[in-house]
Amino acid sequence: MLFFRGLLAVAIILCGLVILVRMAAALPEGRFTVLPGIVLGVAMIALGVHRLSLIARVRGMM
Amino acid sequence: MPADSKTAQPELRRSVTPWGSFSWGYSDVGADIFVGLGLVLAWAAGASNVAFLFAGVVYVCIGLAYTELAATYPVAGGGQYFVMRGLGDIFGFIAGWAVLLDFTIDVTLFAWTSVDYSSQLLPALVNSVHPWLHFGVVLGLVVGLCLLNVIGVRESTTFNGVVSALDVISETCILCFGFLFAFRPQLLIHTMQTHWPSPYELMLGTSLAIISFVGLESISQAAQETQRPASIIPRTSVSLILTILIFALAYSNLALGFQPWHPITDAAGHHLQFWQIFPNNPDNQGKAVALLAAQVPYYGAFAALYVPVLGAILLLISSNSGVFGSSRIAYAMSTSNLLPSIFQRVHRKFRTPMISIVFFSVIAVIELVFAAAPALFPAVSSLYTRFFHGENGLGFLADLYAFGAATSYSFVFLGLIGLRLTDPLSPRKFKIPLNVPMRFRGEQVEFPIVAVIGFIGIFSILMFTLFTHPLGRIFGPSWLLLGLLFYLVYRRYRRLPVLGSQPRNWRTAQTEILRRAGELELMDEYVANLKASDARRAGQGT
Repeated sequence: MLFFRGLLAVAIILCGLVILVRMAAALPEGRFTVLPGIVLGVAMIALGVHRLSLIARVRGMM
Repeated sequence: MPADSKTAQPELRRSVTPWGSFSWGYSDVGADIFVGLGLVLAWAAGASNVAFLFAGVVYVCIGLAYTELAATYPVAGGGQYFVMRGLGDIFGFIAGWAVLLDFTIDVTLFAWTSVDYSSQLLPALVNSVHPWLHFGVVLGLVVGLCLLNVIGVRESTTFNGVVSALDVISETCILCFGFLFAFRPQLLIHTMQTHWPSPYELMLGTSLAIISFVGLESISQAAQETQRPASIIPRTSVSLILTILIFALAYSNLALGFQPWHPITDAAGHHLQFWQIFPNNPDNQGKAVALLAAQVPYYGAFAALYVPVLGAILLLISSNSGVFGSSRIAYAMSTSNLLPSIFQRVHRKFRTPMISIVFFSVIAVIELVFAAAPALFPAVSSLYTRFFHGENGLGFLADLYAFGAATSYSFVFLGLIGLRLTDPLSPRKFKIPLNVPMRFRGEQVEFPIVAVIGFIGIFSILMFTLFTHPLGRIFGPSWLLLGLLFYLVYRRYRRLPVLGSQPRNWRTAQTEILRRAGELELMDEYVANLKASDARRAGQGT
């Protein structure tokens, strides 16, 4: 179960990275309009990292 | 024998797991995007994602504040308890009264949109086509939920968990397919550059965006029923806050840069962008997620069938949490002598706070009548057009929802700052980041910068609400004034301090709270802090 949760957390981080890269690519023409998208990508990465840290803590306790 | 609350109301069992705690919050806050998306797209147009971003940043601050407070003071009273303890009784009442407005609106607004989502599969329920049928079904749902709560039937934590899990999976699938096959970054940029709203519309959209983030009271309600809340609540809350923020930002970005699967045209046959189906169309505003899901390539064929049903169920759970939550908040306020003891009375047979439930359900029905009146009676409609910029039913409910949330959250930030200064000895296992160490009344305290940022943000949203909502700026402050008048009369009648606070022993109360929560280490730490502080003061005195 922990393995699948970890996999999901990594998937969330990857999705966040993809969104971040796509938004960053549109930065020259979009300028500030890509800001909400960049925050979205950062939030996804933060969620994934938070989930991974919880899993690491649980594994440390086992 | 009259059912006295203190003897008849059993102590809440602490049996909520981390997932249970998450799903409890999710079923409350997660449903908000189903209501907020269409309204924000209708007003903020090309800046909808910016409106969600602003409200989302404020929401993160609020979420962190609730997490710290709920982990430090794990009691079900929520915002009103924190504010009462940090700022005093009268401010606690105002915060609690604003939360009660939100809970009663919650009942009506979510029952209303639950019917709107159902109308996607049952066209007879479309409000503009059959307003009386729509009104009747919403009324039936409110009355039904009231009765279910009176006889003590609640949806189980398992049911909440299953619906929340299904919804998280469903929304993730919609967003994944949407971003993979229908999202065009260039279209998003083009929409934002060519359909940027006026400052008035942007303020209105931002004030509506905050309704996508209402329901954080559930964090403190879950804290009361979670074992070791100081450890569990921060873990689940951070996940909840980020998940809700991600969904809100993802939906708004996707909607603006969305290439619909099937072309959308207006009556004249002109092609429309997806977000353009929402302005001036309350029927569409009430079921935005279902409409978006149906237009997602490939997955939309399947999503069109189940998203309206899932949305309707999630919204109904949220509506039910309004009935349940209002009675619980009223109960907590009554035990603190902020409301009369009648709100503590429990039914002899069903052992539920029947009077509270019926009282706040009646208020919810009155709000429903106000919201539905323009559609039901043409004469009233012209009155609304003349005096209230023609606000429709959904807009009226959203106005008051935003007002209640912004008011109560503003006080919660002030309560957090107050508690940091007046109660520095309570152990805080979770603290919001960015604190400035300083001394206050001889104690070392940490001043929370994020709370100040959050307060400025939520206070701006409160101002936007008052400035841009003709109905909200009349009914919201009227609700607060009426409540305040009632509070002053009640406190005077009971010979309690009217503007001041009742003397309370917070030290004993806090020790008891931590003991009941099973946080024995924190309780020991708190007692040691008290002893050290007393010894220090005694030393200074001699």
